[in-house]
Amino acid sequence: MITHAELESLIHAALPDATVETRDRTGTLDHYNVRVVSMLFSGKSLLDQHRMVYDALSGALKDGRLHAVELKTEVTR
Amino acid sequence: MTEDLKKQIQDEISTHKILVYGKGTKQAPRCGFTLETIDFFNQLGFPFEVKDVLADNEKREALTEITNWPTLPKVFINGKFYGDTDILGPMVENGELERILTDAFADARA
Repeated sequence: MITHAELESLIHAALPDATVETRDRTGTLDHYNVRVVSMLFSGKSLLDQHRMVYDALSGALKDGRLHAVELKTEVTR
Repeated sequence: MTEDLKKQIQDEISTHKILVYGKGTKQAPRCGFTLETIDFFNQLGFPFEVKDVLADNEKREALTEITNWPTLPKVFINGKFYGDTDILGPMVENGELERILTDAFADARA
């Protein structure tokens, strides 16, 4: 499992300007809804925006702290 | 990744217009996201194939390498990688997915 704060800090390490919202889907702190809004997504395809977030979370996904993420990304308006 | 495995995946991707690599089967999905993806394509009404790679670590790693995408399910349409329903959902809303699917299945209907 991974806390909301840990999840946010992993994303902020890669996307410092990001607004991050996390919601625990299952009450087990390993399946999350995550919404990320960042300027750094500008000009990137949705696929690449999601790849940027998954890269930031790769350690937690690999070691099993994080099982699944439902992800929504947006460019800062 | 072995050449055999790479070829197997390429064959599967080119054989099925919509291909979902997931955990479990259509009849018995073994992951909430795989189930959501199956429901998603059932609603769209185009034929699709689900390949269970839950127990096949080597293939899962090969797929991750090919797509540069860490999680399952992984969706391919007409041989192209489209991520998962987090990507496809917004593409339904803006009409893009319907165009892609109509094009993909156009020759099958002709």
